Amino acid sequence: MSTRTNYTIFESPRLQILSEDQKERIFNGMMRTLQYTGAHVHHEEARKLFKDAGCRVDGIKVFFPPEVILKALSTVPPVTEIFPWDGTTEKKIVVEKNRSYFGPGPTPPNFIDPDTLERRKYLRKDATTVARVCDALPNIGFVQSLGSISDVTNGLADVYEFADMVRNTTTPVMSWSFTREGCRDIHRMAVAMAGGEEEFRQRPNYIFYGEPISPLVSDFHAIDKCMYCAEERIPQVYSPCAIGGGTVPATHAGQLVVALSESMVGVIAAQLINPGTCVIIGGVQSILDMRYSVYSYGAPELSLLSAALTEVVQYCGLPMYSQSGCTDTKKMDMQSAMEASLSINAAMMSGANFVHDNGYTESGLTGDIFQTVMDDELISMARVIERSFDVNRETLSVDVIDSVGPGGHYLYEDHTMKWFRAYWMPTLMDRNGYEGWVDEGKKTMKDRIIEKTRDLIQNHEGPRSKVPAAADSEIENILKEAEERVRKSENK
Amino acid sequence: MTNDLGKISDSLIKGNVDELKELVQQSLDADAPPADLLNKGLLPGMEAVGRKWKEGEMFMPEVLRCAKAMSGAMEILRPRLAKEDLGSAGKMVIGTVAGDLHDIGKDLAAMMFEGAGYEVINIGIDQPNESFIKAAIEHKPTLLGMSALLTTTMPRMGEVINSLKEAGIRDKMAVIIGGAPVTKEFADEIGADIYAPNAGTAVELAKEYYQSKV
Repeated sequence: MSTRTNYTIFESPRLQILSEDQKERIFNGMMRTLQYTGAHVHHEEARKLFKDAGCRVDGIKVFFPPEVILKALSTVPPVTEIFPWDGTTEKKIVVEKNRSYFGPGPTPPNFIDPDTLERRKYLRKDATTVARVCDALPNIGFVQSLGSISDVTNGLADVYEFADMVRNTTTPVMSWSFTREGCRDIHRMAVAMAGGEEEFRQRPNYIFYGEPISPLVSDFHAIDKCMYCAEERIPQVYSPCAIGGGTVPATHAGQLVVALSESMVGVIAAQLINPGTCVIIGGVQSILDMRYSVYSYGAPELSLLSAALTEVVQYCGLPMYSQSGCTDTKKMDMQSAMEASLSINAAMMSGANFVHDNGYTESGLTGDIFQTVMDDELISMARVIERSFDVNRETLSVDVIDSVGPGGHYLYEDHTMKWFRAYWMPTLMDRNGYEGWVDEGKKTMKDRIIEKTRDLIQNHEGPRSKVPAAADSEIENILKEAEERVRKSENK
Repeated sequence: MTNDLGKISDSLIKGNVDELKELVQQSLDADAPPADLLNKGLLPGMEAVGRKWKEGEMFMPEVLRCAKAMSGAMEILRPRLAKEDLGSAGKMVIGTVAGDLHDIGKDLAAMMFEGAGYEVINIGIDQPNESFIKAAIEHKPTLLGMSALLTTTMPRMGEVINSLKEAGIRDKMAVIIGGAPVTKEFADEIGADIYAPNAGTAVELAKEYYQSKV
């Protein structure tokens, strides 16, 4: 028995787009942009915060000197944990470098109706559907609603969405809101689910999503919500939708410079308010289709840009909000599967933390839970590649090879018994023989996706019955108060 | 003269903003009839651009560049044109509704309409409902354009249309709306006349609408 000296292993394969020098150059591009071009901040209090920290402020424009940026980056946490509200640990999220979780996305106006398969407005009941289905999908690590509820009081879609979703899944929810008030309502619900404010601080159970406007604009509500989350130490995303050739330069390096700069404004605000609070950056990175003026969600550039930005964001020491599993197609078809396969694999290999938009169709305008179900399978396939395999004495199998010898087979060897179950097993992909496939009704992938999705909608038990009674009634109270608030402000 | 008009068309198609201005100015200095510069130089140029775009020969940034060139040329030409020469296209007031800071889609649409010969009054982003009404009363446009990118600000569009009715000027103009979350159904719901799914097709759709009214 001997050991191998100076032996190196790769735990997983990797996708690398940029060299250290290139990352540094993009990082410095961000520093130059924030220092000399500046960013618009439509929030007096935020501008004061920046000014007091050493930034130059001219009207609504804020210029950030390097020392302010570097100081903010020095206090971002290297690791943050997000806990399922039911106290279990299987669905716990660890936000740290190269650990990927996949989920749907927020707020498209439309939804593919699970019964008719037709596109229609997103309704309140859909939030529950998405939460329940995602709760059951093993490769979905965080949940967003895939829509913006159209059939509740105007301005309360955010609050109803969270109320319904958090009670229908233990997978951590990523919420969004219109304003600070919605943010506060949602936070109170999360605190109720955690069992108290101190409990929430110890074990945060959701993530908040906010978005500045590209190029280089933090509107009032975006930065206001960012500040609120920092105050309450809610893990938050602050990331733009950067539109290549539209809101940002048509060159990929230029796009990353602007996108990084936009996010950095939120990072700085959050770290000034509450050093150590978790801010996730990145955002949707893709190009404008110059034929149809559509922001493409299926473009290969989306994958390239996102993977490259993941590297730059890691260079900053921050977690990355990336995307995959989305498509420009209008109906579940070959295009949706092709685009999702490519982007999911690239996102997986890039090591981004929160990979959203799994279930976005029609270039982000329609949520489709069937797409999410398909993506779940693709994610599990990509994980096989990401997990790679061990090369050691046991797996090298030289002794077994010797004992079976030429011309034998391995089917019932102890070694095979021990290892074959590590093979990936499809839940949707068809590997049946021709006759078997005919016997089972000649089902296509589309048939199987619909069947699986509808089965989950109908039969997945979900955690709804386990929601503590006190939290449940508190959430109903918060909804009532929110309605009251809107009524009062309308009467004014 | 014909040669100059050809040059004007070409310069427009190439999107040469400064060169086109110079060419138009030179032609005016040489006493070319302003209406000819518009009808036989600029408009045929824009028509060619529209055709090339439809056929996939030109792309959005190039078309916008041409629209920008057109707009620059019109700045010089407009004061020299008689009222009847301008009549064909019309006048537009356009803006992004209150609470919404998104201006790119709206600016693209504004530019496309300018390119098509419209006189465009762009009132900007985050405009309260009253600003639209005020601008509509002041400028008497034939077309009122509204844009929103947020589902929360979309309802403002319906409110503006109601205010136009209250002010008794709703029938004086067509209302066109657009923005990523805006749909045909929503446009019908709030009583807008034209729904533009994107900036590129807006001019064409407006044209179709006016033709259907004739």
